[in-house]
Amino acid sequence: MSAPLTNPRDKRVEIAIHNWAPRFVSAGVPLADFDEVTAAITHWDEWCSVWSQRAAVHEQLGRRALADGYNASAAGHLTGAALCYHFGKFMFVHKLDEMRRAHDKVIECRALALPHLDPPGTRVAIPYESRELYGILRRPHGPQRAAVVIMCVGLDSTKEELDVYENIFLERGMATLAFDGPGQGEAEYDMPIRGDFEAPVQAVIDYIKSRDDLDPDRIGIMGVSLGGYYSARAAAFDKRIAACLSFSGPYSWVEIFDGRNELSREAFRVRSHSKTMEEAREKAQTLTLEGAAMNISCPIYVVAGELDRLTPPSNAERIVAEVSGPKVLQIVKGGNHVVNNRRYMYQTQAADWMGQQLGVPRT
Amino acid sequence: MNLDTPVGSKDPRVEAAISHWAPRFVINGVPLTDFQEVTASIECWEDWCRAWSKRAAIHEELGNAAHAEGFNLSAGEHWTRAAVCYHFGKFLFVNDMAQLRQAHAKAVECRNKALPCLRPPGERVAIPYEGTTLYGNLRKPVGGGKPPVVVMCMGLDSAKEEMDDYENRFLKRGVATLAFDGPGEGEAEYDLPICPEYEKPVGAVIDYLQTRSDVDAKRVGVWGVSLGGYYAPRAACFEKRIQACVALSGAFERKPSFEGRPIINVEAFRARTRSRTLEEAGKIGVRMTLRGHAKNITCPIYIVAGTKDRLTSPDEARKLAAEVSGPCVLDVIEGGNHVVNNLWYRYRDQTADWMAAQLGVAKR
Repeated sequence: MSAPLTNPRDKRVEIAIHNWAPRFVSAGVPLADFDEVTAAITHWDEWCSVWSQRAAVHEQLGRRALADGYNASAAGHLTGAALCYHFGKFMFVHKLDEMRRAHDKVIECRALALPHLDPPGTRVAIPYESRELYGILRRPHGPQRAAVVIMCVGLDSTKEELDVYENIFLERGMATLAFDGPGQGEAEYDMPIRGDFEAPVQAVIDYIKSRDDLDPDRIGIMGVSLGGYYSARAAAFDKRIAACLSFSGPYSWVEIFDGRNELSREAFRVRSHSKTMEEAREKAQTLTLEGAAMNISCPIYVVAGELDRLTPPSNAERIVAEVSGPKVLQIVKGGNHVVNNRRYMYQTQAADWMGQQLGVPRT
Repeated sequence: MNLDTPVGSKDPRVEAAISHWAPRFVINGVPLTDFQEVTASIECWEDWCRAWSKRAAIHEELGNAAHAEGFNLSAGEHWTRAAVCYHFGKFLFVNDMAQLRQAHAKAVECRNKALPCLRPPGERVAIPYEGTTLYGNLRKPVGGGKPPVVVMCMGLDSAKEEMDDYENRFLKRGVATLAFDGPGEGEAEYDLPICPEYEKPVGAVIDYLQTRSDVDAKRVGVWGVSLGGYYAPRAACFEKRIQACVALSGAFERKPSFEGRPIINVEAFRARTRSRTLEEAGKIGVRMTLRGHAKNITCPIYIVAGTKDRLTSPDEARKLAAEVSGPCVLDVIEGGNHVVNNLWYRYRDQTADWMAAQLGVAKR
């Protein structure tokens, strides 16, 4: 037999590259970083360290800018550093020590950036079942008591990935509160993923009500990917939510679970704190809108990508078919998962819609 | 085309475009997937402008829809994206001037519609120049007062409609921006040939700034990208009202020969210098020189170059740095391509911070 033509690339690396270029870049990773870093990786084991190396370049630029007193620049570099560390970490659940080292850097870099963002952000601690969840709160320029959008991340995203989304809401006069819920980001080590996501969201809303700079009567919720399930799920149970955005969320996680790639399934296994894939599959059954979606009575805007192979658009169709309130269904032609390849088709549109629901003047 | 060319392989002019410009397009506002899909759909260069214009029209329509509903901020973003896509359809398409002009008119129209919706907003301004008019986009930072202003010089194929990202970085730091189409560029490319003695149009721009009460014409910086990276220091050699200069990947002196340059760039240079032949174009090219002049640059200058620049050797930057008389920052960026668009985080914020400091704006 002849020798192999080339050193074949690890399939998991191929999955990562194939699925995520638009997501990484639209979230803020420089295109050349994506091209160069992924080109340098042949085996999945290298993923986290190579991304962390690139992240360190941005971190160093950020620290230098901070030292020189160029805070606006520092915020940009450090947010970029956090993103690169984050994408190094995001699916790297097979080496938890390494993942956690990168994750610590994610949090550290974004925290360094927060006071220098425009508008600035604050790290907040949210009491939750005798523990704490952590979030990033940013308030728009202007209003004393701002309408606020709670941002739910997904299976592999965390609060540090959302800078671009946050800015879109903030520019339109809404505050943002991105948080790491059970199984996500800072909470993924001690708290497993839970299907009844209304519980952590309830804690977040209680926290919002404790603040006098946010308007408790104008709370919206947004969710991305698995977070698109979480946001809808919370809206079904917590009537304090005035409007809901759901981007590429599953109706029933277990039904699409087997169709997911191995990286995705493994991330769910680890973050649901399951020992085996069978156990994970059991837990996947608890993530469902069955019997719940009909209780969504607030306005909801559901986005799906026509070509989404991770969460097919039929999920979105099922959700809107069952809700009892006003609804918008947008299936974006040619759109991939979370329509990251055509963000311009829904991102500002959904933010403008949310502003309307929360009574924020048009901008 | 060579008969051995495999079926389905792309026009080398399209290949050149793709291999040179992905990072530039994306950081200047083209969505990555737009770049991938549009370039993948183009087999021969003749399709380039039409394919980009078609994509641009989607963004334009989204802008129109947002505007109709009163969502002006969103409209401004969509229209800016539309303008950038039309612009890149047009940028080197000198082989078909009718098509180029149509796409260009759209680029200008979309950016003009976006201007009042931007944060901070922009204003289209007319600058008197040698009996005719140059056009620019003026944006002032939030906060009022009389901000300093940076005059932005385009290159061979850029135009003021491509500048949103650069503008925003200056504006955030308290510096107003005036991106303008000089001779041979954008709106001026039809009637005015490329002008190697670029101190003339820049002088006209500064004269114009002196007529305005809302910017501080005593604090004027000049900035230039690519061929504009020659224009900006060239202006600084002669125009002493310039307080500071940023030069990105500009030539110190152009050679008469076009050897080694992509054919579409050469053609653009020929067309925009109004030359019939390359020989004629080469004669205009050699007038582009800082040799013997650069010593007159006494204001602070920040020079950026990329070690992997295939269009302008980083040695050009080194020559310029060696000859200026004033304070100089030379930043030759390892691994950087032309205009270091692949490593934009290495210089875009840094040069904006530097410029703001030179023009007396407090650090932020």
